[in-house]
Amino acid sequence: MDPGGQNANNSSDFVRKLYKMLEDPSYSSVVRWGDDGDSFVVLENEKFTKHILPKHFKHSNFASFVRQLNKYDFHKVRQNNEDGQQSQYGPNAWEFKHPEFKANSKDTLDNIRRKAPAPRNKGAIVDGDMPIQQIDLMNQQIVAQAQQIQMLEASNHELRVNHQTMVQEMVRLHRTVLNHDRVMQDVMKYLNTVDAQQRRNSKVLFPNAQDNAGTTLTPTSQNIGAVDEEAPASPLQHAQQLMQEYNVDPQLNFPGFENSYPSAAQNGMRGPASTHSSGSMGYSKLSDGQLEQIVYPTGGNNGIDPMYSEHLPHIPYPLPSKEVDAGELRNKYAESRKKSNYADPGWARSPRVLLVEDDPTCRQIGAKFLLSFSCTIDTALDGLEAVSKVQEGGKYDLILMDIIMPNLDGVSACHIIRQFDRTPIVAMTSNIRSDDIQMYFQHGMDDVLPKPFTRKSLLDMLEKHLMHMKKIPEGMAPPAPVGVNPSLTTHPPNSRSVQDDMSQGASPAGSTGTWNSPSQYSGVSPVSASMSIPYANYMDSNNAAYQAQPTTPLNPNRPMLPAGPQPGMMQHRRGPSEMSGQDMNPAVKRQRVSGTYTGQPVAARPQ
Amino acid sequence: MADAEEFDFGDNVDTATFEQILDMDDADEDDAHEFSKSIVFGFLDQADSTFAKMETSKYVRPDKSIHVVRTLIHYVLRKDKDLKELSSLGHFLKGSSATLGFTKVKDECEKIQHYGQKKDETGATDEPDEEKCLRLIGQSIAKAKTAYDEVKRLMEQYYAKLEGNA
Repeated sequence: MDPGGQNANNSSDFVRKLYKMLEDPSYSSVVRWGDDGDSFVVLENEKFTKHILPKHFKHSNFASFVRQLNKYDFHKVRQNNEDGQQSQYGPNAWEFKHPEFKANSKDTLDNIRRKAPAPRNKGAIVDGDMPIQQIDLMNQQIVAQAQQIQMLEASNHELRVNHQTMVQEMVRLHRTVLNHDRVMQDVMKYLNTVDAQQRRNSKVLFPNAQDNAGTTLTPTSQNIGAVDEEAPASPLQHAQQLMQEYNVDPQLNFPGFENSYPSAAQNGMRGPASTHSSGSMGYSKLSDGQLEQIVYPTGGNNGIDPMYSEHLPHIPYPLPSKEVDAGELRNKYAESRKKSNYADPGWARSPRVLLVEDDPTCRQIGAKFLLSFSCTIDTALDGLEAVSKVQEGGKYDLILMDIIMPNLDGVSACHIIRQFDRTPIVAMTSNIRSDDIQMYFQHGMDDVLPKPFTRKSLLDMLEKHLMHMKKIPEGMAPPAPVGVNPSLTTHPPNSRSVQDDMSQGASPAGSTGTWNSPSQYSGVSPVSASMSIPYANYMDSNNAAYQAQPTTPLNPNRPMLPAGPQPGMMQHRRGPSEMSGQDMNPAVKRQRVSGTYTGQPVAARPQ
Repeated sequence: MADAEEFDFGDNVDTATFEQILDMDDADEDDAHEFSKSIVFGFLDQADSTFAKMETSKYVRPDKSIHVVRTLIHYVLRKDKDLKELSSLGHFLKGSSATLGFTKVKDECEKIQHYGQKKDETGATDEPDEEKCLRLIGQSIAKAKTAYDEVKRLMEQYYAKLEGNA
């Protein structure tokens, strides 16, 4: 018999056994029905407990038996009568009664059910559970917290590692910048001496030369414009001033560090080379509008990790050489004085741009800007005209496509053109909502230029997509994107002109264009958008810089190239041929390179 | 070319933008400001004709009650078409005025563009009431014309000054 057993269906086993036990006449002296048949009596406790209980109920514990009875709502009948007489059953008799437990009624046995569990019992169980539940909960919490702590530890570790790396990079950067600063100082010193010489010479020839405006005294001293005979040229002065202002202190001073110095560097370089009138314009425009673009691109290494030599070309600053002819520099700047803010981008050849724009005002302005960037321009008034121009064989290096036009809009035109042509197409529009932009890209646009565009933003866009067309001081052209016409390869004169450019020294003229090009980093992954910024000495090592361009590397020196990046070979071969008729001593430059920068070029140097 | 800084356009012209155009002028040529002048006055003509088109297409003329009958007919037939037309005219003029830095004109044109698309002036939320849109367009056209007249006057002065000096 199971005390905790279910008794839902029939009368419980206990009750049945009880009844059965009472039916046995042999027990009548120990336990039997009461005289009225509505109760039963245990006459002899001992005997009952010893013999009968075990037989029927499998235990010999009278107390348990009584408890069981109580559970089934049996009640003990008091033995003593009111008048104190003994009970009829004997002094030790136990009488139990249950309204449904009768001698002759087996049927009613079913009605005998266990009482609802006593509150005390239930409470005991519940109370017992509660602490357990609580403990479980707490255990879970502890486990969860332990996990959290683990995660926190892991991320903390990561952060620490990253921090370490960052600090190391900062230190290296700092070192690099210090080196730059030293270079600047050297150049300034040199230019000062040259300037002093010039002044001395001009003083001898023209003792009255006091003109501030840089008039044509002699061709060479044209732009010096010394006010005071003893003082250096005002541009040089200005440059000195700026350099002092933005002094690089050897202590690593984090916050404004990167921003302040490079702008001074650039201003310093420009200073001596341009006339003061445009020079001052140059400064103000430069520092205000272009500050971000002079700085090293932010965000990790962004392709300029001083540890990796192949990144050297990415650095937006060319290394100036001592053999620079300062006079020539100044002359060149005098010519481009007007556009000194955006000096000649330095194309290897003039890019052919198709400008598709229905509004005459925008068209004329756009065309004029493009002209000022030395581009060859063709225009179309709407999408239809644009498509026909391209269809009829017009080969362009870039297409600037307005979106909203009559007859055929820009998106549709682009879509059609894309069926047979891969010229880069840039959308020009004032709609720059992201879903619109998605649509542009979906239909084959390569980029978006918000309108109204500024001259600067137009130039940036040109440089971004026409990087391959830029002149490089050493004549190295990075590979071009897919689809650009192979006619570029048939321009051997380019190498000539490139060498000429080189002979002027790693002139800021040529490199200023590249100084602007760090803008490619803004907002675009530097890896994909801009390959190496052409930089003289490091080209032969920069195989890795031309990454991920599934392109035909275009190279004026090599008439035909298989697809795929083989810039290593190309540049390697170019190195010696280019270097050979140069004014400057490549060896000197190379040594400077290795002295200044920590990275070693990967490919062997042709020496 | 630095003269633009000295000439006061007030807030009618965004000097930075306008100066880009001026920069393109080649001062060594005989007609020093030929380029920018042609752009500016070309724009002014363009704006003139655009405003004229707006006047004919929009049927609600704020000041001419004589045309009530005509406008009622237009109301029935051409309302939606007019809104679209006005929007595109506004967009058209917005582009060129922005490129020249004529900000006030541009702002009003942008509003016209949005109203024509049945949106509020910022273009962010819808404005389903076509009557209201037309009314607002009318107001904006008037404001745009005022701004345009102002800019026209300033430009004429400016170029007179430049050419007087050159």
